[in-house]
Amino acid sequence: MTFFLRAISLVRLFFFLGLVIVSLGILSGIFLIFYLAGDLPKLPSPLSRIIETPQSLIYASTGQVIMGLGERKAVPLEMVSKDFINAIVATEDHLFFEHHGMNKLRTLKGLYITLFDPDKVQGASTITQQLAKNLFFSFEQSWRRKFKEMLVALQIEAANTKEEILNAYINQIHFGAGAQGIENASQTFFGKPALELDLAEASLLAGLPKSPTNYNPFRHYDRALKRRDIVLERMAVAGFISHPEAQKISATRPQLHKGRMDSRSGSYFLDALIKELIQIYGEDVVFHGGIRVYSTLDTRLQSFARDALTQGLDQLDTLMGLDPGEKDRPQGALVAIDTGSGAIKAMVGGRDYYASEFNRAMDSRRQAGSGFKPFVYYTAFQKKGVHPGTRMTDKPVLIKIPGAKDWEPQNFEKRFNGNMILKNAFAQSVNTIAAQLVGMTGPEAVTAMARACGVKSPLEDVYSVALGTSAVSPLDMAGAFSVFANLGVKHDPFLFWRVEDAFGRVLFERIVQNKNVLESGVTFQVLDMMKEVVDTGSGRSIRSLGFGRPAAGKTGTTDNYNDAWFTGFTPSLCVSVWTGFDKRRAGKGFCHPGQYPV
Amino acid sequence: MIQNWYDPFTAGELWRRIFSFLNLGVLFITLAFGASEFRFDWCERLVGTYLLTTNDTRPETGAVWESGRQTSNAHKSLNQIITRREDTRRSAQSAESFSHLAGSLRPGEWVPLDKDLFKVLYLSLSASAGRKVIDPSHLVWLLNGKTTDRIFCEGQADGVKLYFIDSQNRVIHQIDLKKNAIVEIESGNAPLKVQLKEIEAFAGRIFPAEKFFDAVLKLPTEMISELMVDPDLLLKQNGTIQQVGIWNEAENGYIKLGFEFEYRGENQVLLIQAREWAVWQLSLLLKAEPQ
Repeated sequence: MTFFLRAISLVRLFFFLGLVIVSLGILSGIFLIFYLAGDLPKLPSPLSRIIETPQSLIYASTGQVIMGLGERKAVPLEMVSKDFINAIVATEDHLFFEHHGMNKLRTLKGLYITLFDPDKVQGASTITQQLAKNLFFSFEQSWRRKFKEMLVALQIEAANTKEEILNAYINQIHFGAGAQGIENASQTFFGKPALELDLAEASLLAGLPKSPTNYNPFRHYDRALKRRDIVLERMAVAGFISHPEAQKISATRPQLHKGRMDSRSGSYFLDALIKELIQIYGEDVVFHGGIRVYSTLDTRLQSFARDALTQGLDQLDTLMGLDPGEKDRPQGALVAIDTGSGAIKAMVGGRDYYASEFNRAMDSRRQAGSGFKPFVYYTAFQKKGVHPGTRMTDKPVLIKIPGAKDWEPQNFEKRFNGNMILKNAFAQSVNTIAAQLVGMTGPEAVTAMARACGVKSPLEDVYSVALGTSAVSPLDMAGAFSVFANLGVKHDPFLFWRVEDAFGRVLFERIVQNKNVLESGVTFQVLDMMKEVVDTGSGRSIRSLGFGRPAAGKTGTTDNYNDAWFTGFTPSLCVSVWTGFDKRRAGKGFCHPGQYPV
Repeated sequence: MIQNWYDPFTAGELWRRIFSFLNLGVLFITLAFGASEFRFDWCERLVGTYLLTTNDTRPETGAVWESGRQTSNAHKSLNQIITRREDTRRSAQSAESFSHLAGSLRPGEWVPLDKDLFKVLYLSLSASAGRKVIDPSHLVWLLNGKTTDRIFCEGQADGVKLYFIDSQNRVIHQIDLKKNAIVEIESGNAPLKVQLKEIEAFAGRIFPAEKFFDAVLKLPTEMISELMVDPDLLLKQNGTIQQVGIWNEAENGYIKLGFEFEYRGENQVLLIQAREWAVWQLSLLLKAEPQ
């Protein structure tokens, strides 16, 4: 009896103690609600107002839209595939239609973990809570933020129907690859309206919001498919589809929209363009102003450029015996400029934008090697009266530099060929003769000439500039070689032709001005020598690849073969290609004319 | 074990105490509270409804409002740009002279200019002044040919640039008008109160008036008329010509000649335009004659 009494007393004690704790919790909750209510953000009404941001559009020179900025294209629920609605509900919050803003059991579990494991803040977000977080809160993980988010979710539920909430949710979630909202995501990944998504596509998209970068199907297709399998499983568990149906769909591989994949390959160009626009107009105008930007990008050439660089680098990998999964693989960059205007028609800043967003075409500066020699020869022709027929001797050269070690340039082949005319010396890229020329003109004249042609990278006034020891970017090289293609007329490279506001009023318009920076007669002599490089010299492999159009250019490699360049042009297009490793290699890098096929 | 005096003595009393009205009431209320909340979510509804009543008094903070503000800022910025451009355009379109045009554009600002307006501004100048802007025959082709699509004006710190552009937005002709030059052009060749030797551009090319006119009069008649395009300007000037200078560079096929007049003890220089090729012929004669 006594034992029984004690047990009863203990149960009663725990019951009342629990009651007191719960009561205190409720009182604390009420206090917190009143305390935080004044600090909560105001809710817009109607909720659909959240998607009223006009999008800024970037057009290619060929007319198609290549990117929408700040784009939130809202569609009503009726215009979205039922499969997607089911998939997103099953994945994110299968009790969405039953709760009133919060899932109490999951919240209590989350609260327990938050309280008893200080290192973790457990999420238990319903779709409404996610909506509240996306609309009003940062991604800071704290109980205060979670509590506020929960309160706003309760208000959202009180003020809107489930359909309105779901509609707002699917129109504002991020799917990656710049797509916000289901309609944009559907267009971006599958090139079709959200209403036409089938189950395989819808389930793939529903898996993306969890981690848009990690599951980006353009970049990690197989990873995205694994995530889709989880979505399908949850749909089956939630009763939206049967298990056999889930398995059947799981075996399919939806076809991604290739056009958009191509446009994403132009991301280096778009990054550079957006950066410049922000510098001129500010972020608010660029991302929220609904402006129209008519870029210089030619999607056809961009596609060619990307494919050419990828194939060229893959060939290099093969030649160097590198596995596709190897981390330290050679990189590349390419810039193509319209010689008649300076419009940048294509730009590839690396082998894979999703792996590295660093734009090597504009922001990377590497030694140009012999690619710099046209500037040396032009300067010597102009200043010292030499010409392509002038005879000079390929011999050991020693240039005394006051206060520094004497400079003794070596030829690539480590031998000397004696007398030769400058045209041949240029075509064979003879270093000792270039060194003699810079010895005649002085390095300052050469760097001044390169700057006059538009090279913006800092150039050192040293004799070794003759051999391209100053670092330049592919954009520098393409822009400067365009001057040779134009017989001395310079056009500054640019990324867009025109900017308009949403009503078509012109904010900016590019006009193309000719600037005569070189003497046309002298320039022609250098151009003629550059033709020889392509026809019979160090760039002749271009001809062996079957390229028969009029072309000129110059190759370049640097010490230890760390960088390989080719900058060449036809009468209408100037292209500079660099290949090499991001980090200089201590020993021999590589040397293969991978850039010629590019 | 000693039994407390307040403990129940019988099992019946124990059960009565356990299932007392108070205990059952508290238990029932607690369970009803919990169950009804789980069933009807009334707590959430209550809180949600309460928050709705305070909505209008709460701050517009958070990503969605920030986005709204950014949109509003963007529209303001764009409207400012457009308004400024429209004002500039209106001001430029209502310009009555090149100096008005230059004054209406701040450095870096640009506006399209109607071809007709340019024609009006150009024709408002005297023939010789107009030539300083652009040769009329060249202008005829630019304005009446097929190549010029539009004219753009761009403000500069020291004047204005006029670009004649084709349909591909390429500049086919450019006119740089410095503010000083515009004043000079529009002031209708007012004499400068200096001596020729003070103007560096005439250095080494200053000749006594007698020698200059001796040489001029040796030229064929048709060449003399080309040499002095506006002799009436010289005729209008008071005083006697002391010296004549030849400018050191040509512009648009013309070279300036400076005539130094002495009038009531004061020296003044009048600049007039002369055809480059005629001046070249004249220079040969002047060099041939001993100084």
